[in-house]
Amino acid sequence: MIKTSVEPWIEAPLRAFVADAGVLLALLLHPSGQVLAQHGFFRAVDVMSACALAAAIHASSAELGRQLEGKPFSGLHAGNARQIYLAEAETARGPYIFLTVFDQASSLGLVRMYFEEFRATLAAAAPPPVAPQEPVLNANFEGELNRNLAELFGRA
Amino acid sequence: MGNGGRHGPSGFPFPISDFPFPLGMSLVNYQTREITCKIVYYGPGRSGKTTNLHFIYGQVPEDRKGKMVSLATQTDRTLFFDFLPLDLGMISGFTTRFQLYTVPGQVYYQATRKLVLQGADGVVFVADSQARQLQENIESFQDLHQNLAEQGVDARGIPLVIQYNKQDLPRELILTTAELSDAVNFRGVPDFPADALHGPGVFETLRGISELVLKRLSAGAAR
Repeated sequence: MIKTSVEPWIEAPLRAFVADAGVLLALLLHPSGQVLAQHGFFRAVDVMSACALAAAIHASSAELGRQLEGKPFSGLHAGNARQIYLAEAETARGPYIFLTVFDQASSLGLVRMYFEEFRATLAAAAPPPVAPQEPVLNANFEGELNRNLAELFGRA
Repeated sequence: MGNGGRHGPSGFPFPISDFPFPLGMSLVNYQTREITCKIVYYGPGRSGKTTNLHFIYGQVPEDRKGKMVSLATQTDRTLFFDFLPLDLGMISGFTTRFQLYTVPGQVYYQATRKLVLQGADGVVFVADSQARQLQENIESFQDLHQNLAEQGVDARGIPLVIQYNKQDLPRELILTTAELSDAVNFRGVPDFPADALHGPGVFETLRGISELVLKRLSAGAAR
């Protein structure tokens, strides 16, 4: 069950992939390392770490592929008891990175097969980028920021 | 990573997700009212970027931070990046999180710096206050501007603060903040003297860049 509140267009393809492929964890992220959607994680900070590493693996393996074969590698698989599969999904909003973790309940073949389906449904569902219209934060956010930072650093 | 059975610091069992409006590149999720910002610590080799993150990591309580990830060489020089996720708590009704990254400072890691810089919402330039490092500071600052320009980012528009680190060293070895400011801070951005090893200035620097990054969100500016 996916308990994230994601944009509706991401949620359905991700839910289908997780159910069909039987994976433990799934992450969709921007190449800069920002998370777009997740399944299976409990802590936001853990998701951010996984995204940072996934973006790094993707960037470095893509560059290695470009140097070796003249084009980026299209997918990366590693692991034994718990395995990872990392690949790219292109949408109207640009390329996204997809990372999934699975165990013996699934297989690389299944994951690859359903990833292709996921990639297609994601691309079909993606709306064009929308520019923000309104300011997000209040103009006087500094008080809260300073209070929170002071608390974070034990200075409150 | 994974099913640790613990809830997120905001109280949500699953607070993460996403996105949709790349504001700068800050990810703003209006549905779950979450903001995630990427801050990159940039600067020449051995200026103290990783030390800043280590100090922050040591200060912040467990439930407000993730694991610090360091992709380093055997001699602890940063090879790819360091990464520290922080939960800043609620600001204007949004759960606000920062992702702190460092880049490797050595000249030959240019490609890596570009990758880490991608999508940054704000940059902390960590300068080494030692007089003999002045040229390295200047070259690294130029390198930052060049890498931003290559990514289509106007360096004059991105939130930036400068930290003059190692101000604890003997006076005869270092430049004053005024001298460093003259040499590096030609844009007149907020700058902070610091001793990242022991802490002074680290908090102030983080607060400075946080304010600038969040100001963009309060102004509704988009990249």
